[in-house]
Amino acid sequence: MGLSLISLFLLSVMVFIGGQVLPGNVGRAILGPLADQQAVDVLNESLGLNRPLLVQYGSWIWNFIQGDMGTSYVFRAPVSGFIVDALGNSLKLALVAFLMVVPVGILGGVVAALNVDRPLDRIISIGGLSMTVLPEFVTGIVLVLILGIWLGWLPISAAWPSDAGFFTQLYYLILPALPLFLSLFGYIARMTRSGMVEALDSDYTRTAVLKGLPWRTVVWRHVLRNALLPTITVVATQAGYLIGGLVVIETLFRYQGIGSLVYTAASGKDFPMLQAGVLTIGIVYTVATLVADILYSLLNPRIRLRADQ
Amino acid sequence: MARDFRLLDTFRRNRTALENHLIDGLVDGRVSRREFIRHGSLLGLSLPFLGGVGAAAGFGLAPTQAIAQGAPGATIRVACQMPAAAIDPVTVIDIGGLLMLQQVGEFLCLDGPDLILRPMLAESWKPNDKGDVWTFTLRKGVKFHSGGEMKADDVVATFDRLTDTGNASSALSVFRGVLQKGATRKVDDHTVEFHLDAPNGNFPYLVSSDNFTSIILPASYAGDYEQTFDGTGPFKLDSYRAKVGASFVRNEDYWGEKALPARTEFTFFSDIQPQLLALRGGQVDIINIVPVLHTVALAGDPNIEVVGLPAVSHTQLHMRCDMDPFKDPRVRRAVALSIDRPKLVEGLKKSRAQVGNDSPFAPAYPSTDKTVPQRERDLAQAKELLEAAGVGNGFKMILTSRQYLELPEHAQLVQAWVKEIGIEIDLNLLDNATFYGQSVFGQSPWLDSPMGLTVYGHRGVPNVYLTAPLGSEGKWNAAHFKNSQYDQLAESYIGALDLEAQKAAAGQIQRLLLEETPIISAYFSEHISAKSKSVSGVQATAMGQLYLDRASKA
Repeated sequence: MGLSLISLFLLSVMVFIGGQVLPGNVGRAILGPLADQQAVDVLNESLGLNRPLLVQYGSWIWNFIQGDMGTSYVFRAPVSGFIVDALGNSLKLALVAFLMVVPVGILGGVVAALNVDRPLDRIISIGGLSMTVLPEFVTGIVLVLILGIWLGWLPISAAWPSDAGFFTQLYYLILPALPLFLSLFGYIARMTRSGMVEALDSDYTRTAVLKGLPWRTVVWRHVLRNALLPTITVVATQAGYLIGGLVVIETLFRYQGIGSLVYTAASGKDFPMLQAGVLTIGIVYTVATLVADILYSLLNPRIRLRADQ
Repeated sequence: MARDFRLLDTFRRNRTALENHLIDGLVDGRVSRREFIRHGSLLGLSLPFLGGVGAAAGFGLAPTQAIAQGAPGATIRVACQMPAAAIDPVTVIDIGGLLMLQQVGEFLCLDGPDLILRPMLAESWKPNDKGDVWTFTLRKGVKFHSGGEMKADDVVATFDRLTDTGNASSALSVFRGVLQKGATRKVDDHTVEFHLDAPNGNFPYLVSSDNFTSIILPASYAGDYEQTFDGTGPFKLDSYRAKVGASFVRNEDYWGEKALPARTEFTFFSDIQPQLLALRGGQVDIINIVPVLHTVALAGDPNIEVVGLPAVSHTQLHMRCDMDPFKDPRVRRAVALSIDRPKLVEGLKKSRAQVGNDSPFAPAYPSTDKTVPQRERDLAQAKELLEAAGVGNGFKMILTSRQYLELPEHAQLVQAWVKEIGIEIDLNLLDNATFYGQSVFGQSPWLDSPMGLTVYGHRGVPNVYLTAPLGSEGKWNAAHFKNSQYDQLAESYIGALDLEAQKAAAGQIQRLLLEETPIISAYFSEHISAKSKSVSGVQATAMGQLYLDRASKA
């Protein structure tokens, strides 16, 4: 936890400094390259950008700790509203994508491992890998054309109506989640497969089989439990990406997630939004890593034991 | 058709010498009908009057905008660029933002799709003899959405706000040296005078939709526009969500003909690709602006119509006149002679542009002198010029531009063409923020590079193009072109009220720029939008505005 807080503090310093070295200045970014210099100066002054950098950073981080994320330079509205909405949206999309890809990816890996070096294994491994290397904007556009425009089965934008209920929102999220499914399936399936192959070849599996346990029990209780450990690390790492790194998918499907929020804040030099967005993503990464550690220790008693010692 | 001199005499009565001179120009054939209508509208003459003069002079009736009257009550759905910042009539600069302003707000006059000025909140306008005072007569009975009547005080407050150097007004770049705070004066409740810093023959364009921040707001407006979206237009705000979209409903108290659609919905996009998909998928009816290279994606769809409007957006390829080897105008001319303009228009711009002649005078401007010879590609002459300038063996150069629309492709074509006359160009393609830097000399690759390529948006008149990128004191003078003769000509063009005087100055400027060639303007682009064929009555403007009050769905 302590390390996590230090990481977040360092992240806040880095993002603040990073923002300062971006080319151009805030007033110029808002008023445009052709704006009168006097208007730019007036705007910079009114935004408090002529204060020393240390004062700006101190004031921002102090307010952030107290729960005030500041006011967007560009939209002149509290940043927190944008962050909460965008984070909520990102979590929804990430959850749908996770619920689609994690079980199917693990199942694919298990099936491949149980059929190692057979045609089914080759199909899952090579097919998954091929889909992973395809960029999301390519699979996204192809899926929109097929499922959204030609067949008309799914809405091509993820922006649901304002009065949409749970199932309507879910319906709108299927299409944007599909390219994520395609790009992550191969990765998760391969990790699971290699863990499974290793576990199937281990002494404890052989012992379990020789003890006369049913094959299903051996796989479920002994093999899969050990094989999933590296997969959990991968899934936890992907959680951060799925929440904060989906700029392309969010742009293509017109979805207001935190990834595109941070991207537009960076390009528009909207520092309060950028800093709050990056820190929020950092917190999500930290929480996801913590959850992964906890799951890891639950699945592997040796880690718990070492921690106890 | 025969001329009706008796009717012409009737039209001439009570007209100023300037207006009668314009009528003489039409009758004598010195001024075409199109030029007559466009310049007449600039002088504040009404379109029915101009049409009547045209008919009496034997040119037939004036063209009218034929807009089909469809069924009322539709909901029109528009895909548009996400506004880049808060919607604020003082600071807005981007297409998404100006589109939102224009849905509820109105201007003194409208620069229409045919680039002809039409009355909007002003019924008429007139210059004094010198052209440094323009008097606008306001429409009566116009109500703001917030309830009050629009009067001269509101107009004065609006322009004082925009010209206040203490405000972060994006319009300062338009009004600097033209109109100061306090120079907009109320004569009576429905008459306003603009007292200009210097004579300006094109001034009405600066208070028209061409200057997109100049919507008239109540004098009491104190900021935070997104809370009210106040205005006088045919639609009122229903809802606005930053980064998501906006909707508007018909204004039942509108001063003019009530809008046909019951509702309009704008969905914000940050990229063109999803907009194209949304139009093809039937989720929106209109895309406000389509970059020319993306029109290909819509070309085969029988349900979609791609609409082009004449506009004067253009690229400027500058060459630093104060640095070797471009110090010598022969070198600059040689580069210009290597450019294959028709190929740029047909290939890069998909024939949705007009060939340019290395000056800001686009064919669409009535004041452009069309007798000035068009520069053609001539590699032999280009090589001779380089030889005469002492660089016959060519030289190396870096061309700086930015990753925006088709600028990289344009730069690559220039690179290939100048190679044929021995000039080796390396491309330096930057992101927007890096390219513009601080936008001041010494801190901007745009303004400091020896050779650079950028794009300028549409303007109804060339005034800004003539001064900022080419004037000796111009703040966007990337070519570092300093020529006192040019400055005087630009000043006389801007101050001229009479079309023929404007044309005379324009001709001299065009010839001087061909000789000096500080910039290469190879084409003037159309404004392109796209819509479903089931929607009619949509009126786009070259500035990027979209008038939907006559829109309907089949």
